[in-house]
Amino acid sequence: MQAGVIPKGRERLTLWLMLTPTLIGLAFGVLGSILATLALSLTKWDLLTPPRWTGLSNYVALFTDEKFTRALLNTFKFSAFYVPSVVAISLAVAMLLSRKIQGVSIFRTMYFLPAVTSAVAAALVWNMIFGKDTGILNAIIEFFGGNGLCWICSEHILTAVLIVNVWGAIGEGMIIFLAGLAAIPREYYEAAAIDGASESRKFFRITLPLVTPSIFFLSIITTINAFQAYDYIYMLTRRGQGDSSFPVIVYSIYRNAWNFFNYGGASAQAVELAVLIILLMAFYFWLERRYVFYE
Amino acid sequence: MKKLLFPFLLIAAMVLSSCGGQATPAGEPAAGGAPVELTFMMWGAPEELAVWNKIVEEFQAQAPNIKVNVEVSDWTAYWEKLKTMLAAGTPPDLFAMDAPYYLDYQTRGVLKNLQPYVDKNPDLLTGVYPQTLEAYKTAEGYFGLPRDFQTIVLFYNKDMFDKAGVAYPTADWTYDDLRQASKDLTLDTNGDGTTDQYGFTADLWDMELAWSSAIWAYGGDIFSADRTQTLIGEPAARQAWQVFHDMMFQDKSMPDVNTAAQYGLDLYQAGIAAMTPIGHWAVPGYNTVAFKWDVAPMPKGPAGQATSVNSAGFVVAEGSKHPDEAFEFIKFVLSPGGQTRLTELGFAIPVLQSVAESPVFLQQAGYSIDQKVFLDSLAFAHMKPVFKGYDEWASAVGDGMLPIWTGEAELNPTLDEVVQAADEVLAKNK
Repeated sequence: MQAGVIPKGRERLTLWLMLTPTLIGLAFGVLGSILATLALSLTKWDLLTPPRWTGLSNYVALFTDEKFTRALLNTFKFSAFYVPSVVAISLAVAMLLSRKIQGVSIFRTMYFLPAVTSAVAAALVWNMIFGKDTGILNAIIEFFGGNGLCWICSEHILTAVLIVNVWGAIGEGMIIFLAGLAAIPREYYEAAAIDGASESRKFFRITLPLVTPSIFFLSIITTINAFQAYDYIYMLTRRGQGDSSFPVIVYSIYRNAWNFFNYGGASAQAVELAVLIILLMAFYFWLERRYVFYE
Repeated sequence: MKKLLFPFLLIAAMVLSSCGGQATPAGEPAAGGAPVELTFMMWGAPEELAVWNKIVEEFQAQAPNIKVNVEVSDWTAYWEKLKTMLAAGTPPDLFAMDAPYYLDYQTRGVLKNLQPYVDKNPDLLTGVYPQTLEAYKTAEGYFGLPRDFQTIVLFYNKDMFDKAGVAYPTADWTYDDLRQASKDLTLDTNGDGTTDQYGFTADLWDMELAWSSAIWAYGGDIFSADRTQTLIGEPAARQAWQVFHDMMFQDKSMPDVNTAAQYGLDLYQAGIAAMTPIGHWAVPGYNTVAFKWDVAPMPKGPAGQATSVNSAGFVVAEGSKHPDEAFEFIKFVLSPGGQTRLTELGFAIPVLQSVAESPVFLQQAGYSIDQKVFLDSLAFAHMKPVFKGYDEWASAVGDGMLPIWTGEAELNPTLDEVVQAADEVLAKNK
């Protein structure tokens, strides 16, 4: 890691003063919440009466909880497709938009717009696009002679949900890769061109290795987002009072806490979610040591 | 010093800005006429807040020392906020309760027993419809009182009926008549091969709208009397389920869940379906539609006519510092003056018989529908079940039945699984 400027004396005091409000917020807000959730996961609490200590029974119950298992599997399936798609598509888009062609800023803006659009509003529009008889997507497919699909039925709901979530995530991924690509010195490409390298060799030998730090970073962020995905998915799959045809973990946590008077169980689910993400992070860091090249 | 001044100011500004929104204090203890402040929380639309503030004004004209602060939230936010406040120990003095959730709160000891107050005011409940009081009776007395009620009736689109030449629903309709009319009203109006108009639509997740009434009309029931067994899988109930299933998949007069989703949440309001069963809460919203409509009682089944009655009520928090004053407000809302104001809201039906059967309710300005149908339905209405664990049970049933209504699962095997899951919830919540 690079060494920054080390503050001395008065600057140090200023530094601490500036950091204190955020640190207090983090300590009470984030750290406090984490400790509270851990503690609550060991109790049975219905919010209205005092919590009762139950040890690990909430965690044991998770193994036989059908709804939780379904939500967990849905989340895993979703993440398995989501993370590679986002990384690959963002890289492709960034590579296309890293050249100085005319109107490149318009394209970059267009790709970034989903990131600043309200998820609820966007999902409502996507609901209309995916409609079986009235949707634009099926209209386009049928125009080209195909058969319209039922996108929100359970056979294709995963695809529909993936399309919307990936669409929403490309913008941020593109930004990260644009920065990563810009950091690659042009001399390498020029040297390769002189040595007669083809485009695909340039990509696999120069671009890909030198962009691995960005891939690593984006993979971590995307995986965390994948496990916490909720807004698009819920808006596309909600049926009836607070029900969802494609439940994910965050949805299960919310319902247990607020609808089923099962705050302890919900906390246990949240802890399990955190543990799974941490394990995945450990795996990513192991991959980093083997495959990521820092200059 | 100058170097530190800016950081100090910045930090002070940040800390102060985060200290916003303290909870309003519960008020000083009243000593016969000393000013008291009550908080009353409820769910509803912003228009309801205006009417409630009017009610509060009239109440304060009678009891000038009691000030009531009304807070309105939307349905989801209301329950979250309420539970958080109860968990923190700072509940509102008065809050609104939906009858099915009543026991979930009452059994956990967060509601004040109102029986002593009711005993002191024996005439208070004499003019109230007895069916609306049922939900709130417990072994130890009333822990809540109803403020208005809902019955489910059949709403129908007169323009669609006229165009198709179908006779309007009557009080003698059976479920067979409903099926036939739905078939006649399901049309492909622009000849492109897909149905553009459906005869019937209903929310099949929540029991209140359609399926509880159907089960009762076919002679079945939702629970056993002691609430330990779910009976929606019994033969009589299965007949009722079969009616909706056939309408959806055989007659195709009712859209399945995925088809309905592309039209938004209410096909009737969108002018795509000719009939829907729903309660009086939909009336103000439906009044803005472009078509002419009216209401009729729910149809008869082999066991007679049946519909669902539900109510919204008041409860007083156990931790309230001013229960006496809170009850004074409840008394006012249950009086003819208060009930009249509530009726003007248009969302619900007053529980006080004298107001409900007067022109105040029956001839409300701006509506040309037969309001009496809602009152007549009380004669054959069953109470929407109230029990501990309602939310979880309703989710087990609603989620479990969903694959049937998307066409992915068979009706009878799925019903078996659902009944089992529902019974497990009941056992958990004993």
